[in-house]
Amino acid sequence: MHPVVPNPETLSAVTCWSCLKEIDKAAHFCAHCTKLQPPADSDYFSFFGLQRRLNIDLKSLEQEFYRLSRKLHPDVYARATEHEQQWSTQKSSLLNDAYRTLRDPIARTEYLLELEGVKLEEQSRSATDEARAQGKEKQQVVPPDLLEEVFELNMQLEEMRMSKKLGERDEQVAKDLEAAKVRFEQTLAGSNTDLQKLWQEWDQVIAGGADAADPQRIAVRDKMVALLNRRSYVRNLVRDVNEALTADV
Amino acid sequence: MAYSNKVIDHYNNPRNVGTLDKGSNDVGTGLVGAPECGDVMRLQIRVNPDTQVIEEAKFKTFGCGSAIASSSLATEWVKGKTVNEALTIKNTDIVKELSLPPVKIHCSVLAEDAIRAAIGDWKKKHAGSEAAAEPVQAKA
Ligand code: FES
Repeated sequence: MHPVVPNPETLSAVTCWSCLKEIDKAAHFCAHCTKLQPPADSDYFSFFGLQRRLNIDLKSLEQEFYRLSRKLHPDVYARATEHEQQWSTQKSSLLNDAYRTLRDPIARTEYLLELEGVKLEEQSRSATDEARAQGKEKQQVVPPDLLEEVFELNMQLEEMRMSKKLGERDEQVAKDLEAAKVRFEQTLAGSNTDLQKLWQEWDQVIAGGADAADPQRIAVRDKMVALLNRRSYVRNLVRDVNEALTADV
Repeated sequence: MAYSNKVIDHYNNPRNVGTLDKGSNDVGTGLVGAPECGDVMRLQIRVNPDTQVIEEAKFKTFGCGSAIASSSLATEWVKGKTVNEALTIKNTDIVKELSLPPVKIHCSVLAEDAIRAAIGDWKKKHAGSEAAAEPVQAKA
């Protein structure tokens, strides 16, 4: 018997290239002949056979990751066809990206939002373009008082760094920073709790079978965008305050 | 991330870092942030009430090198322009001048936002006066 040389050009996504039987589109291996399948046009969720939900059981995700790592590993295909070798390399790297993204709560949320059509990296620019075209002032995506607070705290941080450089230690600044650290860590923790609530909402909407145009689905999505926008400032603050506090005097 | 020479120059020798009196009637203050990264920028202008020319501009940016360079450049550019001329500065002009890579475009957006916010604040202070009654020119 000749080995069948797979030609990705002529493959139907639902037919195993080797035994030509029908298989699941997202399946990594043929259910009949167990052969490795070419990378499907899948997102990170479907790569793991998951629905687009935000509550993920990290334990089973990890187990699935290790299972697939072993099964997709290029070493396994060292003697297989060139195509299979290629697929195993492609899928292994996809697997790593998918796992790294999904196991991190924030990266997972951001990734889902991108899948849902949000351009997190571009929202600011589009709002600016719009404001310019209309001759209006752009609406900042976070409340002005948060910006004010962030700015002030950054000023304080800078002051503290400066006095440290001069070998001084300003007790008042240090105290303010400690207080700010506590406050912002609380804010960050609070926003993580809020995010989890939104995950819950999201998963319910998805479980209810809402399609991409569903207004409720879009509403939850936009709430998550707003929350992540706020969060980025707070996260920076916590990072910078901690840096300033732990830096050697 | 390889920065262009112009970015490095502005970063090492930022022009017009500082503060203007926020309460002054001739000063407009713009405080803006980039949600993509959580960086913040404040840009202030002092406008001649008679000519509407921006005579002084100061900035303070807590952010990446590109944001610092963008705001530094923005203060240089707005100086000597009337407020309405300054409103025609686009983030893409900054991107071009500083050769910013695509991932740093939002840093230049921040600078344009800051200019517009500062001018907006100044106009608000003058609402009702002749200067502010003149509509902002929308330039594509
Ligand atoms: S990375 Fe945030 S402004 Fe440049």
